[in-house]
Amino acid sequence: MNKLKPLIDVLSATILNGPPGWEDREVRGVFASDLISDILVSDGEETLLLTSLLSDQVLRTADVIGAVAVVLVNRRHIPAALTKAATKQGLPLFSAPLSKFNACVRLGPLMEMA
Amino acid sequence: MSPVQQPEEDISLRIQELAGNLKIRDVMTRHVFAVTRTCTMRDVQTIMKNNAISGIPVVDSNHVVGMVSVHDIMSAFEQDWMADAVADHMTTGVRTLSEEQPLSFAMSAFSKFPYRRFPVVNRKNELVGMVTLRNINVALIQELSRQLATMETEGGRVTPPASSDSCIFYRTYRLARYDFESGGKASAELREQLRVRGVAPKTIRRAAVACYELEINIIAHSHGGTLTLYIDRDCVRITANDFGPGIPDVEQAMTEGYSTANDWIRSQGFGAGMGLPNTKRLSDEFAIQSGVDMGTMIKSIVNLNTSEELSDESK
Ligand SMILES: Nc1ncnc2c1ncn2[C@@H]1O[C@H](COP(=O)(O)OP(=O)(O)OP(=O)(O)O)[C@@H](O)[C@H]1O
Ligand SMILES: [Mg+2]
Repeated sequence: MNKLKPLIDVLSATILNGPPGWEDREVRGVFASDLISDILVSDGEETLLLTSLLSDQVLRTADVIGAVAVVLVNRRHIPAALTKAATKQGLPLFSAPLSKFNACVRLGPLMEMA
Repeated sequence: MSPVQQPEEDISLRIQELAGNLKIRDVMTRHVFAVTRTCTMRDVQTIMKNNAISGIPVVDSNHVVGMVSVHDIMSAFEQDWMADAVADHMTTGVRTLSEEQPLSFAMSAFSKFPYRRFPVVNRKNELVGMVTLRNINVALIQELSRQLATMETEGGRVTPPASSDSCIFYRTYRLARYDFESGGKASAELREQLRVRGVAPKTIRRAAVACYELEINIIAHSHGGTLTLYIDRDCVRITANDFGPGIPDVEQAMTEGYSTANDWIRSQGFGAGMGLPNTKRLSDEFAIQSGVDMGTMIKSIVNLNTSEELSDESK
């Protein structure tokens, strides 16, 4: 099992919403997709969600599947509304400059080690 | 505590809820006058006059093959067709309703078609009743009065129609077409209700995802509708009910990958055609009914106190 903090560090991600104690939340798996339909079909628990979708529904979907945190990949400008919604939901939200593929490549070794 | 709703919003929500809980079978007139193809227009006119009815179905071994209305009789008078067989002058291609369908389907049918009455058929497509707007009004008024009476005796609390002592949470949400903003409200509340009751995370996830899929389907594919959550000690019951356009081929819609979602829905991240099969997979019980132009009603039940709960507790 991995803690969230080292995973966020390896992605050089920016914190958009970091509720108290986010660093120590435990992550069991990573799921990367831009299709909400696929995220809803996934079964993993304590998931770190990687996506480049920017709709409000991404955060609701994360909530519905009980995701640990969301990393928006491939992005520079994140709509303020999204950060606000994450704060309201108490959901840790990050933004990484990497592409989805590169983000997965970096997370791979960490997830395998755990 | 759930937020207080506007009274008028509350009233029509309640009607929609009632319409989803009653079946057409519960409100239809069972005593039906029908004629066969060989009866004359005059026979029909006599039956109409003697029984004060304004539309009569024509049947062939119990299957509806046409309807004769007062209007058809008036034309027959003018054209001197009164001695002709009804088969020659009846209206064909009659729309029927099925007795199993929720009352909301009949309400959609009345608002979409100019007809004043619909023949009701059973699973074998045999005529079993007729339904008019009057039937619907009477049934709704009766059900509302029943609820009012219960409210008076129970000090203002509205109990769900299939009233159960163990009901823990009961609420209906209204969902409008393309209102993605509202999508996820019901599932968020469901998640919270189950979390505070210590339900296992796996079970919460199953119920929340099923609920969310149904919310989004109403928003993305229907003209609008309602979603009702009912929680008791044993299970979560999610009922999604909308007022059209209905699903022409339910089996096809239940197939993974089948979707009619447009580009805009797809741009929101939906539309892979996974929602309905996923909801079925996550549910302990699942039922879907749909009538073209009338609406779709989906029920999903997720049991609480399952082995998931036990195995999670023992960890
Ligand atoms: N309430 C509804 N009213 C009318 N049609 C519906 C309704 N729900 C589903 N459908 C039809 O069934 C199809 C399949 O639904 P399903 O939920 O499985 O997939 P989807 O919504 O298209 O995509 P996804 O759920 O993966 O985002 C839809 O594309 C639509 O044609
Ligand atoms: Mg769907």
